[in-house]
Amino acid sequence: MKRNQKFLLYTILLAVLVVSVIMATAIGAVAIPPQETFQIIISRLTGLWQNSEIPSTTKAIIWNLRLPRVLLGVLVGASLALAGVSFQGLLRNPLADPFTIGVSSGAAVGATIAILVQQTYHTGFTQMIPFSAFAGALIAMFFIYNLARIGGQVPVVTLLLAGVVVSSFLSAVISLLMVFAGEDMQGIFFWLSGGLLMRSWSEILFVLPYLLIGSVILFTYARDLNVLLMGEEAALTLGVNVERTKKVLLVTASMITAAAVSVSGMIGFVGLIIPHAVRMITGPDHRVLLPASALVGASFLVWADVVARTVMIPKEIPVGIITAFVGAPFFIYLLRKKKSEIRL
Amino acid sequence: MKIEIQNLSFQYGSHQVLDGVTFSVSPGKFVGIIGPNGSGKTTLLKVLSRILQPTGGSVTIGGQPLAQFTQKELARTMAVVSQDTNIGYQFTVEDVVLMGRAPYLGRFQSESLEDYEIVRQALEVTGCSHLRERSITELSGGERQRVIIARALAQQPKVLLLDEPTSHLDIGYQQEILDLVKRLSTVEGLTVVAVLHDLNLAAYFCHELVLLHRGRIVACGQPTEVLTADNIEKVYATRVLVTPHPVFGTPQISLLPGTQTDNNNSETYRIHVIAGGGSGGEIMRDLRDAGFMVTAGVLSVGDSDWEAARALNIPVVSEAPFSPVSAERHQENLALLATAQAVVLAEIPLGHGNLLNLEAALQAAADGKPVYVIEEKPAQKRDFTGGPGQLLLTKVKQQGQLIRDKTALYRALAERFPSGGKFDDFTDLTRAAVDQ
Repeated sequence: MKRNQKFLLYTILLAVLVVSVIMATAIGAVAIPPQETFQIIISRLTGLWQNSEIPSTTKAIIWNLRLPRVLLGVLVGASLALAGVSFQGLLRNPLADPFTIGVSSGAAVGATIAILVQQTYHTGFTQMIPFSAFAGALIAMFFIYNLARIGGQVPVVTLLLAGVVVSSFLSAVISLLMVFAGEDMQGIFFWLSGGLLMRSWSEILFVLPYLLIGSVILFTYARDLNVLLMGEEAALTLGVNVERTKKVLLVTASMITAAAVSVSGMIGFVGLIIPHAVRMITGPDHRVLLPASALVGASFLVWADVVARTVMIPKEIPVGIITAFVGAPFFIYLLRKKKSEIRL
Repeated sequence: MKIEIQNLSFQYGSHQVLDGVTFSVSPGKFVGIIGPNGSGKTTLLKVLSRILQPTGGSVTIGGQPLAQFTQKELARTMAVVSQDTNIGYQFTVEDVVLMGRAPYLGRFQSESLEDYEIVRQALEVTGCSHLRERSITELSGGERQRVIIARALAQQPKVLLLDEPTSHLDIGYQQEILDLVKRLSTVEGLTVVAVLHDLNLAAYFCHELVLLHRGRIVACGQPTEVLTADNIEKVYATRVLVTPHPVFGTPQISLLPGTQTDNNNSETYRIHVIAGGGSGGEIMRDLRDAGFMVTAGVLSVGDSDWEAARALNIPVVSEAPFSPVSAERHQENLALLATAQAVVLAEIPLGHGNLLNLEAALQAAADGKPVYVIEEKPAQKRDFTGGPGQLLLTKVKQQGQLIRDKTALYRALAERFPSGGKFDDFTDLTRAAVDQ
């Protein structure tokens, strides 16, 4: 892509995201006009543009309930899309996504255990689920990584296989736990379906560092990711330290995934289709693909969550169901439209 | 940069793929690695490019051990064009070539104008400038190969390694690519090591060749030293004919199909062929394939029939090139004739130098041997003696048996020697030919 094309692309995507955040915050059971929403956010952030006519309950709805939820959608959507791009590029496999590698199944087991423990012993530790999920994800990653490692190298095929095998094993563990769960099953089910319900600023602060640090690392490895697409042997001869690069990317993308999954549950399809859709516009260059996917993933999840919480008011649908409902047909559309051309 | 390879070995499990390989490549030379499938060519190239780690021995590039290069240093020194240039991702040609600049860029650095200029030049040298904006996935095999070479050039290497750079290309592209590579080595001083499977191309383009067989070097040096019939027969287990390129004099290899094994199982019937100037090659081959033992003579060294006889493993009385048949050779020839069961006189050009061969045929006929004289066309046109040749030939014809063409010859022989070799096939074949 040309420099001015990239600039235009980023401008559009960023504008779409900002507008999405404001609109999504405005939409809800209590409709608040977008300009009022915007005003509340700005005044809260900068201390300027105060408006005493807006009731404090409205301010509280915006600032304490809706905005954190929307922003968490931004962070989780960006995280999943970034991780998806990285895994697809790293594994050179168009079907890879943050869930293929098995990290998320680890998170799911961690979360399931935490839900069961919490329901049984009623601990006061409110952040237990994300922490437990995160720990589960890291353990799974460590396990899969060592399973796939052969003499200091991590061949892509073994990595994929190890990920798939560990994933299905952990799914069985979850099913077993659900059998024991009894009345807590709905809590587990809700978590597994993925959602942003009842999330607050503390989850945002939990995810943010991983996303920020992780994306910096990924962006600095963007060229290496491109060169890796030439094949590992070619990448070696082009000066890329292939094994180290794979390890760094694998750990980074897994950490981003783990952090996102631990606060939002299993939100599928974002990490799979967003990279494909964006790649159709930007081409395979990771220096554009990574930031563009992050922005698109963020906007996408924000709107998916709007649908999830408004379509059946007062009931909420897990957002993972919405992303799958939208994502699967879209993926099929891509597949049919481009047919043989589904590639990275 | 000079490459030195010392006692290099590589083991794959218990399989010794490379075994004590030692050679060196001088700066600016184009060295070809040849050898049959599974001889370790590609493995050698992968060890040289540090994709595989050797299990023994050492490689130095410009005096520095290969293992001591950092990955980026190595990529700045040496570029590799692998066998498989397929790229499944829709990068533009310029993007792909730009990746050749990756070893020069820091993690936070983006490509400078200078990098783009280097890419532009690499595209120009390889004739890819017009493809710059195209997607790599849309290119033909030859175009893609050139783009990958352009990427290698963008690395500004001192050493270029290529693994069968022409394997998927038709002959026009093969020549184009190798022309380019040769130009890079002679003009730009690039040290080139290429695995090649086409011996003729290797002989034509490379300064030096390394012939590998079962992981060991069989021969190494100038193409004329390496590409001898003996070396090739030993390594490729097939019989070949090595002749100088008609224009440039580099060795050219011709296959001799169906000549892997000796077929002289009916030694009781030996046929002596008097040929020359290409008149007897086919006859000798057919007779030999039919199961006869065949001898020939007298033939000048280098004559195409002489080459054919040698290639067919047929004993031949040889005379020095461009010399008339000497008395000694004539005697040797007579000795061979005396013990042969039949004689075939092919449509040889009649010259003062080989009239003794006609004398020998006449002698054999006088001794009561069947002498088959082939005459498809009147002998007048191939008589360069101004009369005596034809006169002598007429005498031979009177004493011997005049044969219209090769088919008739085979039929005559089949009737004469009903129990010799694969005779039945022969008669069928000839009858079929006659029926037509």
